Amino acid sequence: MSSVRHVRGFDIAKPLSIFTMVGVMLPLILLPLASIFIYGTSSGLDKFWQALIAPEAIFALQLSLVTSFWATLFNVIFGLFAAYVLTKYKFWGSNALTVIISLPTAIPTAVAGFSLLLLWGPYGLLGRFTDQYFHIMFTAFAIILANIFVTFPLAFGVIKPVFETMSQSLEEASATMGATRWQTFWHVTLPSLRGAIVTGALLTFARAIGEFGSTILVSGNLASRTQTAPLYIFAKFNEGQVEAANAIAIVLALFSFFIFSVLFFAQSWLDKK
Amino acid sequence: MNRIKFFITLIIFLSILMTACLPSPSNGGGKRTITVYAFSVMKESLEKEIYPAFKEKWRKEHGEEIEFTSSFAGSETVVNQIQQGVPAQIAILSIERDVTRLIQSGHVPSDWYVTAQKGIVNKTPFVILVRKGNPKGIQDFPDLAKEGVKVIHPDPVSSGGAQWSILAIYGSELLKSEKAGAKDEAKALETLKGIWKNVVSTPGSAREARTQFETGFGDALITYELEGLLMKQANAPIEVIIPKSTIFSEHPVAIVDKNVKADERPVIEAFRNYLWTDEAQKIFVKYHFRSVTNDKLNENNPEFAKIELPFTVQQFGGWDKAYPDVIEKIFRDQVQKK
Repeated sequence: MSSVRHVRGFDIAKPLSIFTMVGVMLPLILLPLASIFIYGTSSGLDKFWQALIAPEAIFALQLSLVTSFWATLFNVIFGLFAAYVLTKYKFWGSNALTVIISLPTAIPTAVAGFSLLLLWGPYGLLGRFTDQYFHIMFTAFAIILANIFVTFPLAFGVIKPVFETMSQSLEEASATMGATRWQTFWHVTLPSLRGAIVTGALLTFARAIGEFGSTILVSGNLASRTQTAPLYIFAKFNEGQVEAANAIAIVLALFSFFIFSVLFFAQSWLDKK
Repeated sequence: MNRIKFFITLIIFLSILMTACLPSPSNGGGKRTITVYAFSVMKESLEKEIYPAFKEKWRKEHGEEIEFTSSFAGSETVVNQIQQGVPAQIAILSIERDVTRLIQSGHVPSDWYVTAQKGIVNKTPFVILVRKGNPKGIQDFPDLAKEGVKVIHPDPVSSGGAQWSILAIYGSELLKSEKAGAKDEAKALETLKGIWKNVVSTPGSAREARTQFETGFGDALITYELEGLLMKQANAPIEVIIPKSTIFSEHPVAIVDKNVKADERPVIEAFRNYLWTDEAQKIFVKYHFRSVTNDKLNENNPEFAKIELPFTVQQFGGWDKAYPDVIEKIFRDQVQKK
C-alpha cells in the first residue's frame, strides 16, 4: 500500500477526490440540468408561468401523476406479494419467474409499448375480440399498463433482498407464540419492510412519471386527452416551442429532486422503531 | 405500528384523491369532439384559426358547441398510428400515397374525395433554407451536394415531406435537363446521391427537422416553403433559397370512416368540406400554404416566391408511380444502399 501523506492532519486526497467527482458530474449531469433552468426562465418568469398554466400543460402533468400513482400502487403491492412468494417457497420455475420479473429493466421501452399494442390494440391478439366492448389502448388505462410494464421490477427489486436477509427466527418466534400467518405478516414482517416499500414506491413513481418510449406508442398522444407530461415536452420541443417544453421539464426535474430528497431523509425516520 | 396505520391511511387517501382527479378530457363531456391527426406542419393554421373559425360557424348554424383535439407527427407515422387504431376521424396527410395506404387497410373508403381538387386541400413548393448570409453559397439543389455542406433532411420512412423533397431534387434535375435539351436521368441520380451523402441527420418529421435546424445544427434544410416563411416571420436568422425548378407538394384530407359514428358524420363531413371554402383557404394562405381553389387568393400573400419551372407529382405519373419508381427504385435501392 502506498502511504498517504498527512500534513498536519490535512488530507490532500479529500479535496482532490471531491473536486474530481464534481468535475466529472458537471458536464455530464449538472450543466445539462442547469441549462434547462437557465433556458426555461431566460425569456422571463412571466413567460415561464404562462407556459406552466397552459391548460394542456396542466392536464399533461395531472395525467402523468395519476397514471404513475396507479402503476406504483399496483407494482408495490404486487412486488411485495411476489417477493413474499418467491422467498418463502422454492418451487420448480421460481428462479425463472424471478428473472422474468426483472426483464423489463433491459427491454427497450418502445418494445414495451408495441408489445401492449400487439396484444390489446384494436387489431391485437386479444384486442381484436375485446376492443369493440371496451377500449384499453389510447386511453389512460393504456398509459397505466405501460407504466406497470416498464416499472415492474423496481419495487420487487428493492423489497426482495430485504425479505431474504430478514431473520427467519423472528417470524418463527411469532409463530410459536401462536400468531396466525396473517398476524405474523402484519406485525412482524411488514414493519421491517417499511423502508424497502417506501423506497420501492418512490423509485417506481419517479420512473413512471418520466416514462416516454412506451407511452408515446400506446397513448395516441392527443393533447388534453392522452398526452402525459413527457409527451407534452416532446411535442412542444418538436413544434419549436422550446420555452413551453422547458417549463414542464423544470417541473419534472424539481419533482424528481423532491422525490429523491424524501427518499434520502425519510430513510432515517423509517428505520426508527 | 402507528406508522403503518399512517401509511395505510395515506394510501387510501391518495387513492381517493387520484380517482377524483383522474383528468377527464378538457371539454367536460357533453360536447362533441372531432379528432384530427395531421402531418406536422399543419399545426399552426389548424389550431390558431381553422378550428376556432369552424367552431364558430357550426355554433351559428346548428347552435351546438364542438371541440377539436389533435395530434401531429410525420405523415407516415400518422398512418401507422391510425392503422394501429388511434381514434382519428380526420386525417390530413402530406402525401396522397398515405391515403392509399389507409384505403388498403380499410380505414378510408375508396371514394374518399368529393371536390374537384380530388381531396387536395392546399399546396406549397419545396425550398431550401440556409443560414443568414448564405455562407455556403447555396443557389439550387445541386449546390447541396458540394463538399462540406451539412444537410438536414427528414426521414422518408416516417415523413411525407421527406418524400416530397426527394421528388423535388430528382424531378427538378430532370426538368432542367429536359428544358436544356435531353432528360438526364443519370445526372439527377448523381445529384440525389451527392446530397444524401451530405445528410447529417434524418429527423422523424419536417417539423422536427426544422427544430433541429433552428437549434443551430446543419447548413441547409429542404422543406415546405411555409416553414421558411414561418421562421422568417419569427425573425429567425435564415434565408429562403428558391430553386430554379421545384415541386409543389399537395396535401390530402380524408375521413377515417372506421372511427366515425353515424350521428357524427354530418359534423365531420361539414368540417372536411369547410376546408375548401374561401374562408378556410384564406386562412391557409395567411399561414403560407397556397390555395388550391382560387389562385387569386394567393395574391394576398406577398411572401410567396415565384418558381421558374414548377412541377407536381403528375410529372412522375402521380403517387401510384412516383412511390415505386422514384422513392423505392431510385432513392431506396440506389441512393440509400451503397
